[in-house]
Amino acid sequence: MTRFLARRLAAAAALLVAVVSGAFLLVHALPGGPGVIPEDPRVPPSQAQRLRAAWGLDRPLPERYLRFVVAAARGDWGPSLSQHRPAAQVVAEALPWTLLLDGTALGIELAGGLALGLLAARRAGGRLDRLLRGATLALRAVPGFWLALLLLSAFAVRWPLLPAGGVASPAAAGGAWARLADLVAHLALPALAVGLPAAAGAARFVRAALLEIAAEPFLLAAHARGLAPARVLFGHALRAAAAPLLQLAGFSFGALLSGSLAVEVVFAWPGLGRVTFDALAARDYPVLVAGAALAAAAVIAGSAAAEIAHAALDPRVRDA
Amino acid sequence: MRSAPAWLFAPACAALAACGGAPRQPSAAELARTTVTVGTTVDLAGVNELLSGGVRFSNEVLDQLFLSLLREQPDWAEHPPTLAPELAEGWELADGGRTLTFRLRADARWSDGRPVTAADVAFTWRAQTAAAVAWPYAQSKESITAVETPDPRTVRFRFRAGYPFQLIDANDGRVLPAHAWQGLPFEQWRRSEPWFREHLVVDGPFRLADWHPGRELVLERNRGSLAPPGAGFARVVFRVVPDPAALVERLLAGELDFYDGLSPLDAERIRASPRLRLLVADSRQFDYIAWNGRRAPFDDPAVRRALTLGIDRQALVDVLWRGFARVAAGPVPAGVWARDPELAPWPYDPDAARTLLASRGFADHDGDGVLDRDGRPLRFELTTNASNRLRSDAAVLIRDQLKRIGVDVQPRTLELQALVERNQAGDFDATIAGWAIDTTLDLRPYFHSSEIADGQNFVAYRNAEVDRALDRARSEPDLASARPLLVRVQRILRDEQPYTFLWEPRRLAAVARDLEGVEVTHLSSLGSLARWSRAPAGR
Repeated sequence: MTRFLARRLAAAAALLVAVVSGAFLLVHALPGGPGVIPEDPRVPPSQAQRLRAAWGLDRPLPERYLRFVVAAARGDWGPSLSQHRPAAQVVAEALPWTLLLDGTALGIELAGGLALGLLAARRAGGRLDRLLRGATLALRAVPGFWLALLLLSAFAVRWPLLPAGGVASPAAAGGAWARLADLVAHLALPALAVGLPAAAGAARFVRAALLEIAAEPFLLAAHARGLAPARVLFGHALRAAAAPLLQLAGFSFGALLSGSLAVEVVFAWPGLGRVTFDALAARDYPVLVAGAALAAAAVIAGSAAAEIAHAALDPRVRDA
Repeated sequence: MRSAPAWLFAPACAALAACGGAPRQPSAAELARTTVTVGTTVDLAGVNELLSGGVRFSNEVLDQLFLSLLREQPDWAEHPPTLAPELAEGWELADGGRTLTFRLRADARWSDGRPVTAADVAFTWRAQTAAAVAWPYAQSKESITAVETPDPRTVRFRFRAGYPFQLIDANDGRVLPAHAWQGLPFEQWRRSEPWFREHLVVDGPFRLADWHPGRELVLERNRGSLAPPGAGFARVVFRVVPDPAALVERLLAGELDFYDGLSPLDAERIRASPRLRLLVADSRQFDYIAWNGRRAPFDDPAVRRALTLGIDRQALVDVLWRGFARVAAGPVPAGVWARDPELAPWPYDPDAARTLLASRGFADHDGDGVLDRDGRPLRFELTTNASNRLRSDAAVLIRDQLKRIGVDVQPRTLELQALVERNQAGDFDATIAGWAIDTTLDLRPYFHSSEIADGQNFVAYRNAEVDRALDRARSEPDLASARPLLVRVQRILRDEQPYTFLWEPRRLAAVARDLEGVEVTHLSSLGSLARWSRAPAGR
């Protein structure tokens, strides 16, 4: 197990360095390069050059890269070009909001996916199964930003049941519980917009996993012993499907993170997606690279946790 | 055990108001009466103008926090814009315009009670011109050789020579608090925005009460300001909603009271809303097609004029802008004091365009439907920025219109920075872009030949008479006396069409019906913010 962990950690570190280097080089390779100079007749190119020099962008690319990597290794991701404060601070402020949103969406994905998958698998090929398969396919195919705008338009404008965005109401009065309720109300629509398509995918995954296991001899034996179908499903089949489901949960976090970018923009949710969106528009490479590193770390951690859990459950994996 | 960082608990803190204790919360009705909520797609870029300048929204907010020596008035229809006293109570030009002396008000105070003095003005100028600060607009100060402070209420600007808008240049930028901000060396300014926020003192009508970057910005009345208190709102909440479509939904849902920057597509929905009204105002913007004068056939004014004649700009305004724009005739917008009253946009006249192109040797020699000359088809790439839907739609419509006169246009959209880089490098045929013209109406940066190398004359336009007129305009004693020269330049530009001037868009804002005192002008949408109020219910 120790060797397994060491291998996974080394791979994760190498992947992180690759992501940081790739993000840094990509932003610098973009036409126009990093940083945005005001497009204004009062800003001549010579003044724009002075601004670039103040950002350190007049130095050769290899020098900039080395300086950046060395500083990043010490935890200094440099100053944000658009917010003029440490990029690490910008990203760190956004992280908890994304964790809250994606954590809730993960809950929706797993709970919704499991429930719908079970329902579909119980009567595979039946009317409900066909209906669920069609619905989950449609939900999976819907672009995130479109679903977000649809939910916003329906539940905040047409039927004003929930807030249209942000994380708190300006007129949020009352005590801590009222504020918590206000936060939950603001979280509902964005979490649904991120979580529902993911739940649709999970439902199809759960259904397929359960149907695959249904043909296993130990389940036939359980049925032959006269166990109730519900007990066979929950007590045996679902336990056997736990390992792939665990892996799905681990890998899901990365997908949710990328899926939440557009949703955070639509609902003005102040998370990593928003920060990345703004940084991209401003070609703010310290924030972009710090955000990419953090997102990569989250994805790596999620998938590593899933792999480790899988390995703990299944010795064949850790010995491979 | 080390405690976890505070930011990790930000959502919980937001929910429970447990970090620092929660004061008594006002009721929803009380908040609605005293608070106005403004929507914005971008956040404040920072409290220090020299680091964050250039973004319209940031400028609007900083105008609420900091005062200037003088305040430009939105009255440029009949005469050059006037400047009303703000921190300065008067000024005097002497020595043939080489000395400009301001007398400061005695009652101006920073929010910490310290007086606003000449030392603040001199410190501001030093910061504006410091190479390490790299203020993008430092060029406005290049004619100023020194700023002297004979006494705390007198500040004297020394100029190399007098010119028509030296008062505007001296006034450019808000006055910064020397006693609060001079402790940080200029070399460290560009990475220290939080430091300025921690050491923030203001003298404007509002102070920064709270700021959650990317989410919300709260201003509260600065009771010590020179600005008259009025009966307006005690709090202004700016909510950042980066997606314009979502922002409009939030306006319609009643979560926002004001937004400036609507697209013409949203205007009708706002008009139909029972809780909102639409404000339409002039802007300083004009959009154009820039023809690259370095490349044939765009180096020929007759060809450029023919292309203008082949574009139905009124149709573009009607279809794309739904009427919320005017066809442009030149760089000086209609209704502005220096606009040539006889200047009319070229009409849409495809027959005249064909004739003009034929006179320059273009004909469809190979019968492929595209005009050619010396074996080269009249074909070019028309670039614009992908993020501007109106411009990219216009490029497609222009392709269809010019096809009717035998010109093959290939529209191409690029990311904004990529487009700017290509334009600055002169690597384009034709491009759709826009300028928000400065109220000094200084046309040098766009059309003077000396600005090809280091300016915004990226089309490489050269005309000796235009150069002379623009040089002479700069040596006139004031802006008004430069008017005949500006009129002459406008006429030459109309004839030579270095740009095809497309449209002058109107500024569109959505306002809650019960908001009073809102004035949107070509200068600003929040200029009257201190006077905004909510009409009593039932009115």
